[in-house]
Amino acid sequence: MKQAAYGFALFVFLALPPVARFLESVMIMHMHMQMPLLVIAGYMMARYFQLWFPGFLAKWNGNGIPGIVLFSIVVMYWNLPRAMDESLELAGSELFKFVSLTFLAGLPLRDSWQKVGYACRSTVFIGYMAISVALGLLYTIAPVQLCNNYLLIEQITLGWGFLTTAICMAVYVVYRLMIRHSEYE
Amino acid sequence: MSPRSKVRPTTVALVVVLLFGAVWFYAGTDGFTAYTTEQARLARLAKTQPSFPPDVTLEDSRGSSYSISEFAGRYVFITFFYSSCPTVCVELERNMEQVYDKLPRSLLDQDIVFLSISFDPDRDDPARLEKYRQFFDSDGEKWRMARVKDQAELDRLLDRFGVIVIPDDSGGFAHNSAFYLVDPAGTLVDVMDYEDADRAAEKVAGYLNKGGAGL
Repeated sequence: MKQAAYGFALFVFLALPPVARFLESVMIMHMHMQMPLLVIAGYMMARYFQLWFPGFLAKWNGNGIPGIVLFSIVVMYWNLPRAMDESLELAGSELFKFVSLTFLAGLPLRDSWQKVGYACRSTVFIGYMAISVALGLLYTIAPVQLCNNYLLIEQITLGWGFLTTAICMAVYVVYRLMIRHSEYE
Repeated sequence: MSPRSKVRPTTVALVVVLLFGAVWFYAGTDGFTAYTTEQARLARLAKTQPSFPPDVTLEDSRGSSYSISEFAGRYVFITFFYSSCPTVCVELERNMEQVYDKLPRSLLDQDIVFLSISFDPDRDDPARLEKYRQFFDSDGEKWRMARVKDQAELDRLLDRFGVIVIPDDSGGFAHNSAFYLVDPAGTLVDVMDYEDADRAAEKVAGYLNKGGAGL
């Protein structure tokens, strides 16, 4: 339960106006620090909800598929350039970003990840890698500014952030395929 | 085994989640049409059709000052730029020049004015605008380069037309770019892609022909 408390503390910390302002002032911090940290906060807090509503999650997310789909939808939405802009301009959108990434992405991810099989996990992982490559190329190659609130140079930085993320994920995939873990256990 | 077939709760949950996602994406992208704020802005401008704010005073490359309302009765083809801009503005003005050149002379002689408005009034004084004018070979009459000297007036105009200008660290600005067409009544009737000069010239010609037929 300690972990859930840390998760809650992280969520509150991220929601402090100066912290939020700071993380949102740079495009790559907004997308590759604030947003993932919100998901992580929700992931850590998931234990609370699994204990409070064990019946609810067992019944409606029994096989983990609805939760993992919900996670994917929320994450994909916040990858839209427009979504990022609007969270800076509209208070409602900003609020929804915090709520959805924490409670509709991080939380269901944890509940589902333990339930879904290898195939589903691989699909989500490879899917996210593919999206990172696509967005990375889009942000580095697009000659026009996609977000009105950030400069073109920040957009290119973010693009490289996506590409390096994808490279790290690819390295991990290769590592998983090449190494037989049982030999080391 | 009971013969009744029962929908599993997880299936119900999955359908609910997918519906939620579809509605959310639909609402968040204006029905899958606008994935960036800029696309959403252009769609909104096309719908609301704002008009010139009153009392905006321009000062052009010849140093003469006049109100923007002086263009009433004529179409005005507008771009927003600043002369120290190293990249986009040059392309923007280059493409504006193309639109200018592509319009048939007979239409150009009709009631249309090309107007490049600087949003950097501190640096873009008439002397600087004059240099910029020569660079793009505009005649200073049919195609004018001007600044809005008063910052409050400038902000009102930019705000009305949805132009976003953010100063950056190196004394430049990040800004969105487009071709704006204002009709003789002073209403913004079209916002066009500045990268497609052919299309813009066609559209402007269409508006002018329409106006000409009505006279």
